[in-house]
Amino acid sequence: MRITRRQFLKVSGAAAAAGATVRLSPIPAFAQSGPVKIGVLAAKAGVTAPVGESGLRGTQWAVERINAGGGILGRKVELVVEEESNPKDTVERFRKLVLQQKVDVVTGVVSTGVGLAIGPAAEEEKRLLLMWDGTTQKGVEETIPKPRYAFRSVDNEAEAVMASILAARRFKGRIKTVAGINNDYSYGRDNWAAFLAIMKKYGMNVTPVVELWPKLGETNFTSHVATLQQAKPDLVFCSFWSGDAPILLKQAHAAGLTASTKLVMTTAGGVHEQLKKAFSPEGMILGYNSLYFDDPKASPLSKEFTRWHQEKFREWPNYESDHGYFTVVAYKAAVEKAAKAAGGTWPTVEQVAGALAGIEVESLSGRRGYRADHIMEATYFQGISTHRNKHDFVTLESVETMSTKQIQKPSGMGLYDWISSWTV
Amino acid sequence: MTGRLAPAAAVTAAAAVPLLGRDYYATLMLPFFGYSIALLGLNLLFGTTGLLSFGHALFLAVGGYTAAYLGSTLGVRSLEAMLAVALVVAAVIAVPVGWLCVRYVKIYFGMLTLAFGMLFYSFLYKFYALTGGDEGMPVARPSLLGQGFGELDKTAYLIGPYYYYSLALCLVAAVVMWRIVRSPLGLSLRAIRENADKAEYVGVRVRRYRFYAFVIAAVFGAAGGVLLVVPTGLAAPTLAYWTHSGNLVFMLLLGGFGHFFGPVVGAFVFIFLQDQVMSVTQYWRFVFGAVLAAVVIFLPHGLMGLLARRADA
Amino acid sequence: MTQALNLVLGGVFHAAALFLVAAGLQLVFGVQKILNLACGSFYALGAYTGIAAVNAALAAGVPAPLFLPVLVASGLALGVLGPPLERLLRTIYDRDEAFQLLLTFALVLMLEDVIRFVWGAAPYQMAGVYLTYGQVRLGTATVPVYNFIVIAAGLAIAAGMGLLLTRSRFGGIVRAAAENRGMAQALGVDMGRISTRVFTLGLVLGTVGGALVIPAGAAVNEMGIELIVEAFAVVVIGGLGSMRGAFVGALVVGVLKAVAIAVYPEAEMLAVYLIVIAVLLFRPTGLFARATA
Repeated sequence: MRITRRQFLKVSGAAAAAGATVRLSPIPAFAQSGPVKIGVLAAKAGVTAPVGESGLRGTQWAVERINAGGGILGRKVELVVEEESNPKDTVERFRKLVLQQKVDVVTGVVSTGVGLAIGPAAEEEKRLLLMWDGTTQKGVEETIPKPRYAFRSVDNEAEAVMASILAARRFKGRIKTVAGINNDYSYGRDNWAAFLAIMKKYGMNVTPVVELWPKLGETNFTSHVATLQQAKPDLVFCSFWSGDAPILLKQAHAAGLTASTKLVMTTAGGVHEQLKKAFSPEGMILGYNSLYFDDPKASPLSKEFTRWHQEKFREWPNYESDHGYFTVVAYKAAVEKAAKAAGGTWPTVEQVAGALAGIEVESLSGRRGYRADHIMEATYFQGISTHRNKHDFVTLESVETMSTKQIQKPSGMGLYDWISSWTV
Repeated sequence: MTGRLAPAAAVTAAAAVPLLGRDYYATLMLPFFGYSIALLGLNLLFGTTGLLSFGHALFLAVGGYTAAYLGSTLGVRSLEAMLAVALVVAAVIAVPVGWLCVRYVKIYFGMLTLAFGMLFYSFLYKFYALTGGDEGMPVARPSLLGQGFGELDKTAYLIGPYYYYSLALCLVAAVVMWRIVRSPLGLSLRAIRENADKAEYVGVRVRRYRFYAFVIAAVFGAAGGVLLVVPTGLAAPTLAYWTHSGNLVFMLLLGGFGHFFGPVVGAFVFIFLQDQVMSVTQYWRFVFGAVLAAVVIFLPHGLMGLLARRADA
Repeated sequence: MTQALNLVLGGVFHAAALFLVAAGLQLVFGVQKILNLACGSFYALGAYTGIAAVNAALAAGVPAPLFLPVLVASGLALGVLGPPLERLLRTIYDRDEAFQLLLTFALVLMLEDVIRFVWGAAPYQMAGVYLTYGQVRLGTATVPVYNFIVIAAGLAIAAGMGLLLTRSRFGGIVRAAAENRGMAQALGVDMGRISTRVFTLGLVLGTVGGALVIPAGAAVNEMGIELIVEAFAVVVIGGLGSMRGAFVGALVVGVLKAVAIAVYPEAEMLAVYLIVIAVLLFRPTGLFARATA
């Protein structure tokens, strides 16, 4: 078929225009290197499974958005998910991710014991590790005092610190006796210790009348509630974060404890949809860690994530999603920053680690980042519980936020020394 | 059995693994060595003597925590010292526990050992000042025969000197167990499994020999436990949980209890099967439960039993 | 005074659930000489199914006070699992007891993932019917009537089991089979049918136990695996194979644990084991041990 001059010009014009377009936007320099692999150690079974799932959701959303935006410096992101279980098996999974799957960075991990095993392993393998949760500072100081590759989560006690400050402000002069019911492991113990120290600092003059230590995974608190009632405390402090929180409240409510006693639940916001109005009282100090789904001051990003989460899972998100989101986004930002500093080449692991320290990014909870000592900074959300909402579970009547700059002890300082140094 | 050829070939193959360049799979062989040693002991207790312990993981935990305590708290880095002390501690703990448990047989024995295992788990969890509690106790990298290998990074150390050390230890344990099984003690234990009453009539002190088997198994378990925790770098209470004991029995059954090499085959298949299945589905426990059920029903003598039958046929 | 009573009641409430699970264990062991590690899994299954059934019923308009029959019915309905599971265990009856224990361990692993697959990993709660029957005042504390119902149900079932085993024909056969299986068979007892019925009864005791207790709490994945140890403690204390032993053992464990929590909370984790060891040292075969062949 004969091509007319007009047709030819049209076609060649289009081709020329296309060629010009291609030349105008730079070809992504790294796209040919294949995808960036992010390994995730996510808990799937046991008491940490809901939290592991939550963190994975945040991670997946972050990766979807990053890939939609072209990836990291043009390279698509691929997730490689392995299960976090006990320390021995999880270290093996970690080695699989690093040695076999050759991932660029490993995120995940919510259990303290696992963190203490994986941290040194990451240092030894010289691989970036961005942990979501599960930090107690004591053991870590022994094993990796100056981490290069391992980045850890916020201190155990941060939410107890915030809740205790709120309790001191709210209940000053109104309480004489306190009781604690906390899980019998490092997290529970650290939180209770922080609470008592802060009560003392604020001159609250409270006496602990009973301290209960149910094991993590306990599901029957009828005897604990009876013991609490016998002791008649003015305030009960509880750091439950899993399925035991709603069970305790249910049984406490049934026995009349929630009506007569002030409650501080530092982390029960993690299972907030389980805190049904039927048994969760108003007026509790309730902590949501770093994500409160109904914050009126939430950023558009945060609102978008909440909407996505609710539509996809028919559930409102909790804090672990923020940790999961943050670690991915922080990594991306660090890679970009390090690449720029390296003059446009893909950065080495050490360069990314260097860029991560001190970095700040926009996460689901607002601005957050890493300190120079590789510990997370974040914003924490707590408040007073209310029934006035359209859900069947409690929410907050007003939201207090505190940054980890206020509620997390600074690098190199012990908890008690730090609290003593406050001016209140 | 197929004489000396098959084991020799297996050892040669094992020795060659680190040289194949697949570092991850080389590191996976390390728990295999640890479990093999522990299971050699469990096989003596169950396969030879007929006592099914559902708390054997207790002794693995004893070994692990001893190694951790020596290395991290006391600064003793020698693996030989860790092993020696672990064996002694295991024996010391096995004496009262064994004395109590061997008074019962069969199911009762299984229940009691489960209870003791969980008691130890709770102790590890609870007395955190001593044990680290839920955080566990870090395990320092041990020196092997006095050599620190400090210039090697952890992976190179694990798939290099530590690998061959573990392999050698495994061989030593196998030889020792071979001797025990072939000894008069071993013979008596087998007689006890066959028919305890008859054995009693013939003059075998049933309860005493069961007790010996228990202590020997405990000691082997602790040795395996020491080897297990070094690659992890941490001894955690989960080592003593009853489902870990259940997995040990699973491995033994899979390999073929009663057969000398059953433990080794079982540990190998279990570890590598778990690795493959875990990467495929998060419901790997279901798969493993089904595998265990299939083995119990169709393959009661385990894989070694299958091989032996084929060899005879 | 009422505080002490309140405390003991809490212990007895827990004991009721423990008794039901342990009773199932004892029954199955007595006749089939199988120690069913999956008893905790049945307990968990009963809890999850109970919640699902009640939530569905309430959503369908069933009035709240009827949740209890729905709950119990769902526990009983799980009895359909009895025959097929028993068939599975039957394949290895004449083998070493160790195999039977291991097969039930396989069941534990499988059921754990089944529950996770069906209901997910998050805690699973029943709609708010726990206080439907009201509460009773005990001094400064209030106790839900439901707790008394569970305790009463436990007692009723205990009594029922007692009658069943001592007065009924079925019970007589069961006890005969437990004493001496070979002789029972020789006398014409259809061991197959009896085994199926006994196993199903044991299963249902566990599922109903889990269902009955769950309105007071929430179902979590690990609940079955955690319960095994306590159930074993009950059986060790009470004596293997004895129904009376299950009853007394459950009370001992439940009440002593409650007392430990009140008096020395730091020891809570170890309380159960200490009781077990104490019993072992002073009365090794348990309080009501049977001389089993």
